[in-house]
Amino acid sequence: MRRPATGILPWAVCFGLFGLLPLAAAFALSFQDYNPLRPDLVRWIGLGNYGRALSSPSFWHALRTTAIFVAGTLPVTMALAYLVSGWLARIGRGEGFFRAAVFFPATLSMVVISLVFKSLYAEEGLWNAWLAAAGLARVHWLQDPGLALPSIMLMDVWASAGYYAILLLAARKTLPREQLEAARLEGLSAWTVERRIVLPHLRPVLLFVVLLNTIRSFQIFIEVFVLTRGGPLESTLTLVYHLYERAFYHFEMGYASAIAYLLLAFVGLVLLIQRRLLGGSAAGTPA
Amino acid sequence: MSRAASAARAWPYAALSAVALLSLAPLLYMARVSLSPGGDLPVAPADWFGRPFSLEHYRDLWNGGPMARFTLNSLIVTCVAVPIQILLAAAAGHALARSRFLGKGALLALATAFLVLPRQVTLIPLYLLMSRLGLLDTYAALILPHLAEPFGVLFMAHYYQTMSPELEEAARTDGLSGRAIFWRILLPLSGPGLAVVGVNGFLTTWNSFLHPLVLTTSESMRTLPVGLALFAQSEFAVDWGALLAGSSVATIPVVLAFAFFQRQIVEGVLQGSGR
Repeated sequence: MRRPATGILPWAVCFGLFGLLPLAAAFALSFQDYNPLRPDLVRWIGLGNYGRALSSPSFWHALRTTAIFVAGTLPVTMALAYLVSGWLARIGRGEGFFRAAVFFPATLSMVVISLVFKSLYAEEGLWNAWLAAAGLARVHWLQDPGLALPSIMLMDVWASAGYYAILLLAARKTLPREQLEAARLEGLSAWTVERRIVLPHLRPVLLFVVLLNTIRSFQIFIEVFVLTRGGPLESTLTLVYHLYERAFYHFEMGYASAIAYLLLAFVGLVLLIQRRLLGGSAAGTPA
Repeated sequence: MSRAASAARAWPYAALSAVALLSLAPLLYMARVSLSPGGDLPVAPADWFGRPFSLEHYRDLWNGGPMARFTLNSLIVTCVAVPIQILLAAAAGHALARSRFLGKGALLALATAFLVLPRQVTLIPLYLLMSRLGLLDTYAALILPHLAEPFGVLFMAHYYQTMSPELEEAARTDGLSGRAIFWRILLPLSGPGLAVVGVNGFLTTWNSFLHPLVLTTSESMRTLPVGLALFAQSEFAVDWGALLAGSSVATIPVVLAFAFFQRQIVEGVLQGSGR
């Protein structure tokens, strides 16, 4: 089968120009002091940007905020996704409808989701109206520095649990039906079946889904941009929002590129751990 | 059936009904507010059900407000980018599946790595590149980055690997040119795979935010998600009715795609679409 592979060219050119070239350029930029408004001052500064990031309180604050976001949403999202996938696997009739209802939010624009929740969280919004109707005090969902991040986390669990439930459901369906039937005939309780048969079967996919969620959550940006712009008092300043501000408000594009590569390094680390734990199977395809 | 057994069967239904309600209620709320007159939010529970219906906000959207322009921009970008994405994916996927060429292994590895790459890494260089090419604030800047997307290419490469090459071989022995084979045999045969690529490409392009935010500077070039997000941050009191009407407009195509292509969307997700 020897034939010219010209079909690869159009995409390969696009991928090279708008994928690989920017990837490499960001690496080069991360070693420069680069302000596009002052081309006369551009210079190479070696590891200067990385040193600056690692000694900058803002960077660590953004990293900590992001870590809190990930650590807070991940267990809740995963537990919910696991439960929902179990319920979906157990029902027969109506599975299609419930699966669609649960999965649908995952296809929506995060901007739309954020705007709807912004209206729900508003001072004069529905939730405060309900609280007031119940005789309770209003809650400053997005204005209270202690509450803004949890409010965003709550929204994010709502937005992403269904996505992971669908991934887990697909994995549950690869479990041989006979195995479940046999266990049931032996008189094992549903709980025992879940713990001894289903859970071990789902383990690799669960691990994959946890890491996928970690990687995606570390990139949280839109929610912050629409709901709080990093405030109040920087309580929702996440890593990518920090990067965005540095690059496009302060035009410190070299420094921001270093932050991007630190983010990339973290994702690489997560994938490396995954490879260790799973023994070889790379990211890309779950199940 | 014993009472315990029937309770065990009813329980997942009850739980899933609650989950389904929770996951759809905010969207119904969005639609309801967008269909009410005025810009404030329905406050009292009675107000929330008892409000009159009005198409006021949609009429305003249509009559030349900035939202009409945002919608048009999103439509242009999506309608140009997605068909090209589909063609690129078919051609490149086929080449990856059937041909051998220098650097193929490296290209495959890089494309796969790109699926999980945090795309923010390419943001700043893309901005500088577009600015140097004089393309900032143009449709080209909004469309070109989507054409680099590797998901469809990898998906189609896998698709063609599982498809028998017999028909193509026969056409070749009949003397058809490579181009004729691509257009007349390959594309028509690839419908199911291209549907997955197309609908997932549609969702990522239509919902895309960070790149369009940075690559456009004037209001007339904003896409719908970017325009909505910036509109929500205006200094003045927020016009919730207009905002949620705009959000509904951004949601309608997604609802349609979901209604007709749910299976394809899920398949894309399972194949590791790096959305």
